Amino acid sequence: MIDWGWVGDHLGAMLGRTVQHLELAAIALAVGFAISFGLALIVTSYRWIYPLISGIAGILYTIPSLAVFAALVSITGLSIYTAEIPLIAYTLVILVRSIVAGFDSVPGDVLEAADGMGYDRRERFQRIVLPLSVPLIVAGLRLASVSSIGLVTITATLGASFGGLGFFIFEGYHREFPTEILVGAVPSIVLAILVDIAFVRIQRRLTPWAPEQAVRRDTWEGLPSGPRAG
Amino acid sequence: MTGMATERAPGATVEFDHVSKVYGPAPAKRRTASPGAVNDLSLAIPAGKICVLVGPSGCGKTTTLKMVNRLIEPTSGRILLGGIDAASRGVTELRRGIGYVIQQTGLFPHQTIVENVGTVPRLLGWPAARIKERSEELLGLVGLDAAKYAGRFPSQLSGGERQRVGVARALAADPPIMLMDEPFGAVDPIVRERLQDEFLRLQSDLAKTILFVTHDIDEAIKMGDLVAVFQQGGRVAQFGTPTELLASPASDFVARFVGADRGLKRLSLSRLRDIELRPAVTGRIGEPAAEARRRALADPLPYLLLVDGQDRPVGWLRDVEIEGDGVLTEAMAIPMSPLLSPEMTLKDALSMMLDADVHTGIVVDRAGRVTGLVTTDILGEFLREPIEVSAEP
Repeated sequence: MIDWGWVGDHLGAMLGRTVQHLELAAIALAVGFAISFGLALIVTSYRWIYPLISGIAGILYTIPSLAVFAALVSITGLSIYTAEIPLIAYTLVILVRSIVAGFDSVPGDVLEAADGMGYDRRERFQRIVLPLSVPLIVAGLRLASVSSIGLVTITATLGASFGGLGFFIFEGYHREFPTEILVGAVPSIVLAILVDIAFVRIQRRLTPWAPEQAVRRDTWEGLPSGPRAG
Repeated sequence: MTGMATERAPGATVEFDHVSKVYGPAPAKRRTASPGAVNDLSLAIPAGKICVLVGPSGCGKTTTLKMVNRLIEPTSGRILLGGIDAASRGVTELRRGIGYVIQQTGLFPHQTIVENVGTVPRLLGWPAARIKERSEELLGLVGLDAAKYAGRFPSQLSGGERQRVGVARALAADPPIMLMDEPFGAVDPIVRERLQDEFLRLQSDLAKTILFVTHDIDEAIKMGDLVAVFQQGGRVAQFGTPTELLASPASDFVARFVGADRGLKRLSLSRLRDIELRPAVTGRIGEPAAEARRRALADPLPYLLLVDGQDRPVGWLRDVEIEGDGVLTEAMAIPMSPLLSPEMTLKDALSMMLDADVHTGIVVDRAGRVTGLVTTDILGEFLREPIEVSAEP
């Protein structure tokens, strides 16, 4: 059923596409995180703006990716922007909510004690709020990374210079060649799982103070579910 | 910051000068005061004393406490700390100079115990080595083995241990004033009792000026050199020593709040070291029995207390049952009454005696040597004496 000969001939291309796949997802995640963190910081000072930000990010999330690509091609052409803008936009709804939820998760008595000890606002944020937000922030990053890795495959619709492993899925589909579809699909799933495991490891490093089951338990409540495509 | 870690800052006076806190709309439009409001409070707390703020919930006692370190700003009036207006000082600098302990501890979950304790010294910029040394010293002071606990996280400690860490953290920079908001409220009664006793022992050395909030009148009477009873609307119904409060409540409200059992509550105010104990008739192991029997029969108590070579009690002997020949041996003894420490309150002593179903408790010193006996008769005598109220606290 699987044409192992074809697989053997294309190992180099697979490696290249895997690297590209990770790059596209990493850029989306990094830029999305930076924007979301900035927005979450604004929310800490101006709470009333949160429903607005959360609402806009939620609307962005509902727009089908293919439609966004089509619309963006007329503005940004077949450039990396066309690929990244939707990927970034989709991370916002997850990351903004998880970062704000992280800040909100710091117990009131801890904040009160910090104030009572004489922390100023900035010190309190850096030394108390931020470290205690890590579990929820990492939970958001896990979800956003899995979602981004899935969505990168769709960027293959923009042409052969994008798509990561999605390139094989699309090309295999057009050529009606199942081996190539699997060569794209299986590694991209494995990639998502490996990245998720990596984040769990990172969180354990960053939060030696958290009880073990709290790290494993998915703290995704209140966040939108699952990666989506189409 | 130039002093040695062992050098102690004395307590500072705390004075409330017509302090009010109003919440929400103008007070004229309100029929009743909002919860937590404080109405024209004037109190002077002498340096080195524990002043307990006690009252029902919503009476403004916590608001009063938090106005001292300016977590809440007063609407009007002044608060003087060591004679200096708190409002005139920088807020973070002010807070770093005031110890703060809260019921839920507020320990930082992501920091180890030793890091938690070193919080204020770190904010004050002490050198790392000195912070570590001071933190470990404080853990010892609150009864936690630094070698065992320093590297743990708060989630790995019991409720009582966390409260101890909370106290250590508040003491870290040796502040003259400590604010304690129901510090022992979240632990079970046995642990609470022990933490209270240990804290009083600590305070007898430290002599901090302490504002202590509780809703538990028994805790107030036990912990306070002075007690301010708050009533709804943020007014102080009575301010005085625990003895004054029990002897002459200023109003029906105070009398009700103190409770109908205020005579019995006096038992918590005195300790075994304060009352005259009954001398114990003892016989040492190995002593000739005839001699001991003669001594025991001469005393109205029908028992002889058997002690070892270091005067530590071993058990009772019924005087009429002591054989006339041979020597006293451990095997002859019948089980003992509870051993009581001179630091114990009369209430605790009575309660231990009742639990053990005996009329006599044995008071021993730190080394475990017998210093005397306390009987239910002695305690009854104490309760019948009139209350003496001194003019000055």
